[in-house]
Amino acid sequence: MLLLVVLSCALLPLLLGLDERRQDTVARDQAPNASHWFGTDGLGRDYGARVLVGGRASLLVGLVGTLVCVLIGTVYGAVAGYYGGRVDDAMMRVVDFLYGIPYMFLVILIMLTMSDEDRNSPTAVFAALGLVQWLTMARIVRGQVLSLRHEEYVLAARVMGARDLRIIFRHVLPNCIGPIVVYGTLQVAAVILLESFLSYLGLGLQLSWGNLVADANVVNPVESRWWLLAFPCAFLGTTLLSLNFLGDGLRDAFDPKTRR
Amino acid sequence: MSRPSPVRVVGGLATGVVAFVLLRGVLGVAGGAGAALGVAALAAWRFPRAALVRVLWSLPLFLLLVFVSVQLMFRVPGDPFASEKLADKAVLERQRDLYGIPAKSFAGGCEFYGAYLRRLVVDGEMGPCLKVQGRSVKEVLLPALPVSVSLGLCALTIACGLGLFLGVRAGLRPNTFRDYSSMGFAIVGVSLPSFVIGSLLILVFALGRPFDWFPAAGWGSVSRLVLPSVALALPYAAYIARLARSGTVEVMGQDFVRTARAKGLTEREVVLKHALRGAIVPVVSFLGPAAAGIVTGSFVIETLFGIPGMGQWFVRGAVNRDYYVVLGTVLLESGIVILFNLLVDLALPWIDPRLRGRS
Amino acid sequence: MYRTLLGLFAAFAGALVVVAATLSAYTPAPRADFVFVNGSEPQSLDPHRMKGQIEGRLADALFEGLTRKDPGTFEPVPAVAASWDVSPDGRTWTFHLRPDARWSDGDPVTAHDFAWSWRRLQEPATASEYSAVLHVVRHARALNKYGAQVAALRGDAAGKDGDAREGVIRRFDALLRAHPAGVPFRAWTEFVTDDRNALRDQVAGTAESALVAPLSRTSGDLTPAEGEAVLAALGREAERRAAALALARAHFGVDQGAFARDERTFVVELDALAPYFLELTSFYVTFPVHRKTVDRYGLDWFREGRLVGNGPFLLASWQVNEKIGLVRNPTYWGASEVSLRTVDVLPYDNQTTALNLYLMGDVDWLPGIYPPDLIDQLSRRPDFHANPGMIVYFYRLNTTREFLRDVRVRRALAKAIDREAIVRDLTRKGEIPTTTVVPPGVPDYASPSNDLAYDPAAARRLFAEAGYGPQGKPFPRFTIVFNTSEGHKKIAEFVADQWKKVLGIEVQANNKEWQALLADVAKLEYDVERAGWIGDYRDPKTFLDMWTTGDGNNETGWSDALFDRLVGLASDAGSLASWTPAQVDELVVACREGDRMRALLAAQRDAADAAARMEATLAVRLQLFREAEARLLIDGVPIIPFYFYVNTGLVQPDVEGIRYWGTKDGARVPNLQDEHPLRDVSTARSRGSRP
Repeated sequence: MLLLVVLSCALLPLLLGLDERRQDTVARDQAPNASHWFGTDGLGRDYGARVLVGGRASLLVGLVGTLVCVLIGTVYGAVAGYYGGRVDDAMMRVVDFLYGIPYMFLVILIMLTMSDEDRNSPTAVFAALGLVQWLTMARIVRGQVLSLRHEEYVLAARVMGARDLRIIFRHVLPNCIGPIVVYGTLQVAAVILLESFLSYLGLGLQLSWGNLVADANVVNPVESRWWLLAFPCAFLGTTLLSLNFLGDGLRDAFDPKTRR
Repeated sequence: MSRPSPVRVVGGLATGVVAFVLLRGVLGVAGGAGAALGVAALAAWRFPRAALVRVLWSLPLFLLLVFVSVQLMFRVPGDPFASEKLADKAVLERQRDLYGIPAKSFAGGCEFYGAYLRRLVVDGEMGPCLKVQGRSVKEVLLPALPVSVSLGLCALTIACGLGLFLGVRAGLRPNTFRDYSSMGFAIVGVSLPSFVIGSLLILVFALGRPFDWFPAAGWGSVSRLVLPSVALALPYAAYIARLARSGTVEVMGQDFVRTARAKGLTEREVVLKHALRGAIVPVVSFLGPAAAGIVTGSFVIETLFGIPGMGQWFVRGAVNRDYYVVLGTVLLESGIVILFNLLVDLALPWIDPRLRGRS
Repeated sequence: MYRTLLGLFAAFAGALVVVAATLSAYTPAPRADFVFVNGSEPQSLDPHRMKGQIEGRLADALFEGLTRKDPGTFEPVPAVAASWDVSPDGRTWTFHLRPDARWSDGDPVTAHDFAWSWRRLQEPATASEYSAVLHVVRHARALNKYGAQVAALRGDAAGKDGDAREGVIRRFDALLRAHPAGVPFRAWTEFVTDDRNALRDQVAGTAESALVAPLSRTSGDLTPAEGEAVLAALGREAERRAAALALARAHFGVDQGAFARDERTFVVELDALAPYFLELTSFYVTFPVHRKTVDRYGLDWFREGRLVGNGPFLLASWQVNEKIGLVRNPTYWGASEVSLRTVDVLPYDNQTTALNLYLMGDVDWLPGIYPPDLIDQLSRRPDFHANPGMIVYFYRLNTTREFLRDVRVRRALAKAIDREAIVRDLTRKGEIPTTTVVPPGVPDYASPSNDLAYDPAAARRLFAEAGYGPQGKPFPRFTIVFNTSEGHKKIAEFVADQWKKVLGIEVQANNKEWQALLADVAKLEYDVERAGWIGDYRDPKTFLDMWTTGDGNNETGWSDALFDRLVGLASDAGSLASWTPAQVDELVVACREGDRMRALLAAQRDAADAAARMEATLAVRLQLFREAEARLLIDGVPIIPFYFYVNTGLVQPDVEGIRYWGTKDGARVPNLQDEHPLRDVSTARSRGSRP
């Protein structure tokens, strides 16, 4: 299913010859119809094309961004939790410190160091999102690891002389895979939506689901151009749903506890 | 109950200093000093050692944090007094003088940092608001704090209650309709942005389509608390539900649960005694940062519901380059994060016996 | 585990009870007679430190100037001044104050209050951003600006940090010595634009030709002789300004400029004819402030409990981000004409929230604060009002960018935009598309026509002439920047698309964070920027003098000696009457409508009496502005005007006195400046309660 979403975003616009930039102000704000399956936006652009093309950037940012934040957060949290004591204290204080930094200034600074040409490259967006997103992940993993590090199998491995890194990656982390996967999958949606906040600061992508959702100011008592909100949200939901199944599969594959 | 040790004494003193800075604005210099002494003694005598260590850590952390934030603010372009209609250079300079904002350079940042710390520690003041002139930062943040905390507490209660209920329920019967419906809820909760959830709630429950049970916006009555708390809680409830579900599934597969069942405990007891425990560790770890986030307010929910909370200041401070407001929010945010993370760290061993073996 | 859970829930429940208890202890105030959404917290309530409409609405409630705007005709009518006379030459105004005007603490409002307030406005220490609108008053500019300029030219004896700062004169001397064979053009330009020197600012308005010529030259080195002349002129200029400053300090507000002849007589002397002056006396910058209160509390004198005003309302409460509460002021001279007893001002900036509250009837007036996408539905409502405003929407072009240097390119860009389509399909409020910057409604003024209207074929032709297009060089890819807003985004994307379609160029439409954008534009680090400009008074000056060289709001890099000269002459049009025929000829040759200018100058010179001369001078003045606008938009095109905004609002049917249209001399007139003083507003609630 995830593959379906990814493929349709990547290929459908090409196959159907959709152009997300072609404007036709006469045909603006049309509800879904035969020529525009998803309707049109305020400039008369085909909304289907925009949702699909926006999906490319959003999926990239959501998946890669989450992956990066999961990797950093997991390793950081696992190391802190495994060693505990002073190491844990010091590492967690760094996390506390990073929580306190005024995020918007950091983002604006990133925006300025990456020049205008790079605006559409998602690197800046990754950087801006990754900065805070891994912190909570690190805290969750650390909490798990703290509770696991005195389990018998960890002690056993230690007695057998395994190196710390090996213990962390072979024995401790697989046992935390549940929360990691759960948090990670939900994080994809959070990252995709957070990206629209970045574009409020002038850093976000030009066209993405987060953008489309943020611009679709349709939940009000006066009118409802529902398609502007419904389609990007539906795509986001579908992505998330498929990620959840994928996540469950991942956990079944890695988690020794659910391996029967 | 405790042996005197350097950590206790120094930690107690540090707690006293923090208390002094916090309280002197409210109680005056003498009252603040008295109260701080009391707090210091109490801290040295009764506080858990971990808490004292945390306080000791946090003092240099605050100093560093403020320094880094000031330098960051001064590196980012913009001027609190700039606008589309630009005033004369001389006027802008004079305004900066009036509000004590030096030139934007590293040295200027250091100068500002020094002046700010002096103001904070010696006068117990956090500087003037630049965009709502005539007020100090303390005067705008202090009334906003209880607002955000009340809203946050309600939201947190809803999020925990709803999340744990749905999560544990789903975890007990994985891959059934119950499980899928809770997953569906979670997906809706995180893939609808909070302004959409909030607007929908207003539309349905305030604007009379079909209900008009609650006011559409504003603050100051219990009825005005309901919709924003729900809107604020839903995404968090979704996270909690998913984390609790996965924790429950894991625990229910473990040997001691089987043992408990074999012992003849009722299903209710099994759930309450064991399943919840497994569910709760990741949830509590998540709650530290999440609660800090909830309590410091949400820009989107606050502006949508017209609530005079803290969240607006985080965004407005930065957007307007309102330097003193930014530093005020930095101090508050990190103070609350440190406090909540401390609470979580203290709570974890209490909840999970496996953690008690530590140190 | 039971214990844990029970504890947890007990803690939550306890906290909730506390929250509920505190909230229910808080009795909500009854609904005010009138509630409106203001869109933001005011930055200040000090009329001298305000800027913008949000503050202006509150200033009109809390203070009152010499005049106020009539709610039916929008013309100035007596307020604190019961009447006024103007001298035949139009340059001396005498205001006779009403005896019953009172401050809210009971003190009478006297001419001395105005004299002190107008001087405070110009004192550099006040740091007023709007003091310049009254620079036309004698000595005002000197008092306000010359101190800083003289210091910059001569250098501070002791700067802010105690170290002596060397001045522009010393630095120029050094530059001159470093280039004994003449200062190269490049070095000179760098010197002029150097931020520390800001030379154009320091000598703005100088009459020294030895300075004016080198400052406006676009090429050529400075010969040693010219250099020496500049050095001497700088010295003289500093001398002159220091003398003017001393005079201003001694006399402004005392017996010259703006001063009290007696308790009830306030006299204002103008340096030049300013037809808009009377209108300014109802603008918040000119409002009086209460000296005792300001002296006592300093910077924060306008908080609730402190503020002493003379307006129809008092500041009762101010809960930041929640509301500002106003109550009727019993000491106001016209209290019996004020219907509203209480007013709540909501600072909400969320447009959806504002609209929700309005639709629920909790709010009586939304001044344009609603989601702009809903305009189609809202504009059909009977309670929706709109009128043409005094705000122009335009794009700045950075003329220092290599590819935007050629005026043909700039013209082509302007001609490739279909403004009709923008207002018809995108903004849809009935905005007026325009290729000029001075909006209709400015009295007696008509903008000169230009050829920037939509014409794709002509645009392509111009583009080709400039060497670009299919047969020419490729045009570099560039960016339109705008601050984050759904409306700006739509227009920018539409324009980018049109430029691509018509001229075949690749244009990006990027938003940028507001403050970062302002900083970039000020440093000329942009290609094309979206901008808007609100006129402060109904006169071409407020839309044109910003484009002069060195003005902080020019920000396009465009500099034109003739334009600067025309605007400068317009500000002192009276002096043209004494010109020699040679001078007249020189000006007439430079003008597009030379014959007309010659006739007007002749009429001014031959005027029979002072009154006729004033009339003729006003005509010359407007013609000079007309020539300046032609210069700007026919020869220069550093900006592309799009449209004039409309002022819109939703007003509940029972509200009276919020008027978007009025009548003057039998004709329907728009409320151009979108001013709706609360003084004249009433609602069913406030009317029903009146005896």
